[in-house]
Amino acid sequence: MRSQKNISRFTICTLTVMVALLVSLLSPVMAQEERVMIPAGSFHSILPEVKGEPILVDSFYLDRTAVTNEDFLQFLQENDSWKKDEIPSIFAAQNYLNHWQEVSTPGLEEIGENRPVTHVSWFAANAYCSEKGGRLPTLNEWEYSAQLMDFDSIQEMNRFSTELIGWYSSVDAKNTKAVGSTGIQNRHGVQDQFGLIMEWVEDYKPIIADELSLDCGTVGRLQQLGNIYSYAASIRYITRMSFNPKTTTGMVGFRCAYDIDAPESSLNTEL
Amino acid sequence: MRTLLILSAFLLNSMPVMAQHHHGGSASLKAEKVPEHSLYHLKAEWTTHRNESVTLRQFKGQPVIVVMFYGNCTQVCPILIRDTWRLYNSVDESMRGSVNVLAVSFDRENDSPEVLRKYAEYEQLNIDGWHFVTAKETDIRSLAMMLGVQYVKQGNGEFAHSNLVSVLDAEGKVAVRVEGLNQPMASAALKIENMLKQHTMQ
Repeated sequence: MRSQKNISRFTICTLTVMVALLVSLLSPVMAQEERVMIPAGSFHSILPEVKGEPILVDSFYLDRTAVTNEDFLQFLQENDSWKKDEIPSIFAAQNYLNHWQEVSTPGLEEIGENRPVTHVSWFAANAYCSEKGGRLPTLNEWEYSAQLMDFDSIQEMNRFSTELIGWYSSVDAKNTKAVGSTGIQNRHGVQDQFGLIMEWVEDYKPIIADELSLDCGTVGRLQQLGNIYSYAASIRYITRMSFNPKTTTGMVGFRCAYDIDAPESSLNTEL
Repeated sequence: MRTLLILSAFLLNSMPVMAQHHHGGSASLKAEKVPEHSLYHLKAEWTTHRNESVTLRQFKGQPVIVVMFYGNCTQVCPILIRDTWRLYNSVDESMRGSVNVLAVSFDRENDSPEVLRKYAEYEQLNIDGWHFVTAKETDIRSLAMMLGVQYVKQGNGEFAHSNLVSVLDAEGKVAVRVEGLNQPMASAALKIENMLKQHTMQ
């Protein structure tokens, strides 16, 4: 009797392991289109308007990776008016999709596969996300998600912080790496919020932007938060403030966010 | 000639959407050249406080006053809406009938068409040519970007936002921007009158 029980236990155990293995084998394939749920919480912004007061963020879904050239090409095939030769100048600057070889093909042999699409204006990014049933993440959602990282040790944390400083001072917009390649991800699996590209957010220019002058004093104050994210965050806030919604640069791409009450059918549920 | 173009586009495409508005629909957008900087490129459908659907494009040939606000805003927005009324009311009475007002709420959660209808009635602005509207979130944000209106929802449910009244010309281009509250409206009203005079002369 006892041995039989052991055998069935063994079988259940093996089955569980096999299922787990199967899931782990399948998940990298699914990762490309996945969006993950970011639970509600709060974070400290670096902006002077909110000193001391954490910003509350509701739960939302966020794309695991940035939108790739392939994704964007597919969007263009269904939305002619956003093609390079069709887009009215009210929606994008001259160098829209400048890195694409042809008007309507990225030329993947040249730029590589799974690279984040860049040279896209805010308007184009917003239209893409809208088409997918989502929207751009708000500035606060994006920054909140970026700060949800776990580190094993203080040393690990400091190393990350130093790496970030290096990256922001030498962004190589000509040689963007593939999405998911940075190895940087938050605790929910959102990848590459640092180390790959800058990203559009819905309200990229905070209201107080007009009242902030970007002198050294302001920049210094922005960095006073003093945590590992504050240097990178201050660079992002300052860079964003120099954009207008038609701006298209090789450094800026995007990912989409989705409201929690978005129709279930359009969501890939997490395993 | 223009009518002929629209007509032929209509016959070729026979899109059902064309039947809804005499000016609307993507087919006529192609047939007629829309200037590069026209806001008509924004293909958004706005739902009014009368539960009707409008597009910016359908106001072609007429000026549109655009203001962005939200209903629960009790301090600033009533002033902003009153400013919009002052501009509208400064236009010569004989021409006012050709002026449209689009008051766009950026509070999608609270400002349903029903709530907007009550708002319009409360403000005594449920009048012809005035449209209090809502739309898809991404379309509202796009319009704000095109006009240069910044807004952000704050933790307390209030919005911080810029105060701006804009006027679109007969082709949908931004022709006037009045920034700030309680600004003089005479010169903006004069521009609207000139637009209307020019357009009837054509």
